[in-house]
Amino acid sequence: MSTAFAVDTHVVTGNHAVSHGARLARVQVISAYPITPQTQVVELLSKMCEEGELDARFLKVESEHSAMAALIGASAAGARAFTATSSHGLALMHEMLHWAAGARLPIVLANINRSMGTPWSVWTDQNDSLSQRDTGFMQVYCESNQEVLDSVLQAYKVAETVHLPVMIVLDAFVLSHTAEPVEFPSQRMADRYLPPYQPRFRLDTSTPAAFGGLTTPENYMELRFKLQKAMERAVNEFQVADEQFNQIFGRKYGLVEPYRVDGADLLLITSSTATSTARDVIDALRSEGRKVGLLKIRLFRPFPSDLVRQVIAKVKKVAVIDRNIGFGVGGIFAQEVRAALYGYAQIPVFGFVAGLGGRDITPTVIRKIVDYADSRTEQENLVWMGVRE
Amino acid sequence: MSQKIIFPSASDMPSTAISQGDMAFNKTGSWRYLRPLYVEKLAPCRQTCPAGTDLPRMISLITQEKFLEAYSLIRRHNPFPAVTGRVCYHPCETHCSRAPLDGCIPVQALERFVSEKGLEQATIGKVSESQSGSVAIVGSGPAGLTCAYFLIQEGFSVTVIEAEKELGGMLRIGIPAYRLPRKILDQEIESITGFGIETISNCRVGEDVSFESLKRDYDAIFVATGAHRSRSINLGGAVSGLGFLNAVNNGNAPEVGEKVIVIGGGNTAIDAARVALRLGAEPVVVYRRSRQEMPATDEEIHAAEEEGVDLRYLASPDSIVKKDGRLEVTFQGMKLGEMDASGRRRPVPIPDSNFSLEADTIIEAIGERPDLSFLSATDEELSIVIGGDARTGPSTVVNAIASGKQAAASIMHYLQRSGEALTVSPLELSELVTPAQVKLDYFAAQERAVIPRTAAEGRINNFKEIIETFSEAQAVQEAGRCISCGVCNNCDSCWLFCPESAITRVNGGYQINLDYCKGCGICAQECPRGVVSLIEEGI
Repeated sequence: MSTAFAVDTHVVTGNHAVSHGARLARVQVISAYPITPQTQVVELLSKMCEEGELDARFLKVESEHSAMAALIGASAAGARAFTATSSHGLALMHEMLHWAAGARLPIVLANINRSMGTPWSVWTDQNDSLSQRDTGFMQVYCESNQEVLDSVLQAYKVAETVHLPVMIVLDAFVLSHTAEPVEFPSQRMADRYLPPYQPRFRLDTSTPAAFGGLTTPENYMELRFKLQKAMERAVNEFQVADEQFNQIFGRKYGLVEPYRVDGADLLLITSSTATSTARDVIDALRSEGRKVGLLKIRLFRPFPSDLVRQVIAKVKKVAVIDRNIGFGVGGIFAQEVRAALYGYAQIPVFGFVAGLGGRDITPTVIRKIVDYADSRTEQENLVWMGVRE
Repeated sequence: MSQKIIFPSASDMPSTAISQGDMAFNKTGSWRYLRPLYVEKLAPCRQTCPAGTDLPRMISLITQEKFLEAYSLIRRHNPFPAVTGRVCYHPCETHCSRAPLDGCIPVQALERFVSEKGLEQATIGKVSESQSGSVAIVGSGPAGLTCAYFLIQEGFSVTVIEAEKELGGMLRIGIPAYRLPRKILDQEIESITGFGIETISNCRVGEDVSFESLKRDYDAIFVATGAHRSRSINLGGAVSGLGFLNAVNNGNAPEVGEKVIVIGGGNTAIDAARVALRLGAEPVVVYRRSRQEMPATDEEIHAAEEEGVDLRYLASPDSIVKKDGRLEVTFQGMKLGEMDASGRRRPVPIPDSNFSLEADTIIEAIGERPDLSFLSATDEELSIVIGGDARTGPSTVVNAIASGKQAAASIMHYLQRSGEALTVSPLELSELVTPAQVKLDYFAAQERAVIPRTAAEGRINNFKEIIETFSEAQAVQEAGRCISCGVCNNCDSCWLFCPESAITRVNGGYQINLDYCKGCGICAQECPRGVVSLIEEGI
């Protein structure tokens, strides 16, 4: 392998893995407003811009709403656009998230999962990103810092193919502020994977046109239909992008990742960093002879229902760990899984809510979840783990 | 054109809502009720300059390295940039909009830089007489020569009459060479008289020639004889500050001995002390109020302190006696009382606080006043204008220049029989840039260049000039810090931010297409220097 394809390993935090992913993607416009625990992402990017390591315009703006608004303009003008935010910042962006997706702009946003207030909190849970479920953003939940960096590159690949924005999601502190070894591919490898963005439409004053104008009922629905079709296509495009990534970088993640599912009766379903802990627990339980397997869901939007169903077809019972709560119903991943299974499989899907507001999801908590589901036959929609009732 | 489009199927549609042609038919200008206008405004530097020098444009020309153009521009307002570039009290800097960010623009040093380029390179040709009218100017200080400069360029015949041997008035008599080198002064005066001004020196009006004869021989007279009569506390034994400076400045430095006491707190007092220091004495300045009330400029006081001049406050001389060939001054201790008419706290004696100081020389510098005894009571005619310090009492060089300019305008109007004198300058009618219109957020802080100057130890034993001129690189860099308040410098902010793309760049400026300008006001909001104004439509 020539030096141009050499790989350097660095010990970096999840936040800085995001920054390096954006650098390797050669983003051209970054617009952001600082918020804990995201700030380090754009801090490093601004430094890269200042020092000339990254040839991008860095826009300081007065709010997250403006950050996304600026990227909508930049992306419409044909630039590869990037931002990062968290929690309340993402909530403030909400209106613009709809706009970016409706305008079919391949913007990539990194969201560091942080609990919503009140009460005030800076620690992780998924309610901020899952509240943006229906904006038209694709969502990728990451488990490791390497996956974070790699997912930024994959995100642009898919976004620019199906013309939809992507949200890369990682846990506050558990990933954002925790350093681990990450391979940095060379720029040449990244360029080979991700060529420059070629927009289909372009905001250009020399060929003036109006974007996003008033659209009457005769046409609006067709545009929504096309957006949904793009989402559906994205399931396949993510798999293609992951496979191409594997060919160049020698790593792949899948949209879902089954672990020790063969011969399992109970399937545990996780997302984000809880997966790593669960993997260890599964190993321990397997060595004790327990028939339990694991499924990590990486892609939340579009939801890879077929892949989830294929894995679940092999088991008798499912336990979903949700680090979020859809108030009035229960865990959001559990609902998605049940919806995917409805009409296909009639097995109990237990919904567990754990780790809200950054409370640790320890091996003990996961063991309790497995024991709880193992010992019961009737489905329970919502089980609170570790709550002092 | 605007028409309803129904697509046969989703696959015929673009993926997002985008117009199928341009939107030029949609003249959004009809929505407008506010109209943006480019209205250049008065920058605080220019507004506060008594001479009204167009400083923002001078600085802009320096950034473009058009130094001679900058010189011609200054000289349209002020014939003495090499002088004011050294001794002006520079209100332009005090009011500079940049000051709160990272320090004011060193306008004075830039003016000096430009004057140096001008004196080196600019050529001066004689102006031919084109107007009927002869003007006598009594006094060749900054007021007199400024008036002469503007009149000669308008084609009047001008004669300047000076009582002293050389031209320059207070510039030559009162300002020490370490602040204003003689060579520079000579050059600058030549650059004024070179236009064809007739000069007569060693001619004191009232003694060598009568004022009546001037009235007979000239169509108009400008009296700019300055304020040279020193005030005195009449204690005997003291010499006048101005007389002392004049003697030294003309090469007749007196023997001052070891200890010199200077009484007073104005620039003359500080100059006298610093000159005495350079003659080898140990000067002590005694002022009856505190440092805060001193009329001398802070820069001069600070320079004196740096040089080790002993400054003492709150003491007033009571008596002077001769003792063993030396002089002994008894001072009365003072404290500050109520405000007086000048807005400063009045000194009030403290009982039993007398103290004495011995001296070889005592210099009194407690102020000067004009001497207009050569005028007669009937001289109040339109053809006679009195200006400069002769009218106001001791003031600054730049105020004298401003006065000379006004006098020239008055005389021109009088001689051209156009009636009233020009009393309102167009500058006074311009809109001043407000601090809110200057958006400092657009500018990154950048350290102000240090003006090169000789340290105290290198200057206390000579009369060499202390401050040096900026290098070209320094001048261009410092000029580059100028915000150009109120004056468009083609920064493109309006053009960039206009959401309608209704602003186009034309002929080094901008044009707003009112067919599409919605009057949103973003251009006015984003202009970092307050050039774009909004007015209501229909007004």
